[in-house]
Amino acid sequence: MSLIKKLLDLDQRIIFLVLFVALAFPILNPVMLPMAIQDYSIQAFEFADSIPDGSIVIIEGGNTAATYPQCGPGLIAQIVHLLRKDVKLVFFSIGAEQQVWTQTAIDTAISKLPAGVPAENGVNWVNLGYIPGGESATAALANNIRSVVAKDYFGTPVDEIPLMKDVNDATAFAALFWWGGSEGSIPYGVRQFVGPFGIPMSGSCTTNEVPNYSPYISAGQLQGLFGGVRGSAEYEYLLKLPGPALGQAMATNFGGLWWLILVAVGNILYFILRTRGEA
Amino acid sequence: MLIEFFFPMPKAVTDTNVTLRSFVTIVSATALILGIIILTISHLRKISRQESEWYYSIIYIIALVITAGLGLTGVRNTNFLWIYNNMTAPIGVALYSLTAFYITSAAFRIFRARNWSSAVLLVCGFILLMMLIPIGAAIFPPVVPIGEWLRSYPSSAGFRGMIIGTSLGIMGLGVRVYTGRQKEHMGIREERAEVA
Repeated sequence: MSLIKKLLDLDQRIIFLVLFVALAFPILNPVMLPMAIQDYSIQAFEFADSIPDGSIVIIEGGNTAATYPQCGPGLIAQIVHLLRKDVKLVFFSIGAEQQVWTQTAIDTAISKLPAGVPAENGVNWVNLGYIPGGESATAALANNIRSVVAKDYFGTPVDEIPLMKDVNDATAFAALFWWGGSEGSIPYGVRQFVGPFGIPMSGSCTTNEVPNYSPYISAGQLQGLFGGVRGSAEYEYLLKLPGPALGQAMATNFGGLWWLILVAVGNILYFILRTRGEA
Repeated sequence: MLIEFFFPMPKAVTDTNVTLRSFVTIVSATALILGIIILTISHLRKISRQESEWYYSIIYIIALVITAGLGLTGVRNTNFLWIYNNMTAPIGVALYSLTAFYITSAAFRIFRARNWSSAVLLVCGFILLMMLIPIGAAIFPPVVPIGEWLRSYPSSAGFRGMIIGTSLGIMGLGVRVYTGRQKEHMGIREERAEVA
């Protein structure tokens, strides 16, 4: 067997090992490489920054165990960003697992807040928890919150929560932030909040889903989008709040480069074999 | 509800729709419980008949009893959260992370420019990944405008076409269900006349 054929039949354990080192090394030994900020992230950041101080916004927390490492740091950065502006936050999730991660993000964000920034449960934020029913639940929530939510995540009746006093439907909110992870649920917000009520919205999803939502950005239905760990890292960078996403984004640099090298080398070797008539 | 989406409707209709939507929430929650019951019955049956790999069903039953039991005492229960944070979460993360390894290995072996159409796919994939990795723009700046163009036009156009196609398909399926021409969702399979 020729050397080229041997290389093309490279043991996948070697590929796995190099990828593991490429991903693990930058996380264990943070290396800062140049990073260009994507337009979608700048738009999403500026949108969040433009929310008037003191207004109420609604946030869908859709991260699961699988997507929290890449999108969770961005959600944490957003909570810190909005609470610093004294924006009141109403959270909900359309998945049972997601409500736990949303609360984890809230708790982590509160621990990162500078001293003196108020973050009292029921006053500055409330987690309405899991609302089953997917898009129908989103529609019901937008039209009448109390028709689908009786108690919050901690079991407190909605009518006893000070923040929820005058909040009855979508019209109470200045904006919607949809942290959908890989739920594929961002269109629910577009269809049920943006269309019928004109509530401006931005989103976040895993990297692979970004192209799915570009049409909504071009159409102005989404004000911006944070995509995956890079989006989270860009939020941390723009907010000047370094966190885990920046380290992970550097890991994607090395992992992505390894992928590109493998594909390029694979194709070059394939072409050499083809010109020799061996492929 | 469909008409309400396009045209303003009287309050009585809107209120009825709000009630109907809250029914969906209740039905969805009930479906979740029903799903757990059916899955548990299926596993119990597998254990009692000692079907192939029945011992995995015991793990399911034990996991269900422990997590559901602790979860019923409150989702903020410390033991429940311990199981979630130390078992469920790492398993979920590991499963998702493994795809990176298999995708990389598969790309090396399969992602080849064997003809013109696969060459176009390869070049587009290469440019988009270069754009998406943070250092990509620093290595080769033109990948950003080219990648943005690919994402905003060909990709968006293709995705929109797919959405429109899927939506029309769902509407067609809805009409078939309402007119009784589609019965498979109720477990009814009709014998179709074979076309000679």
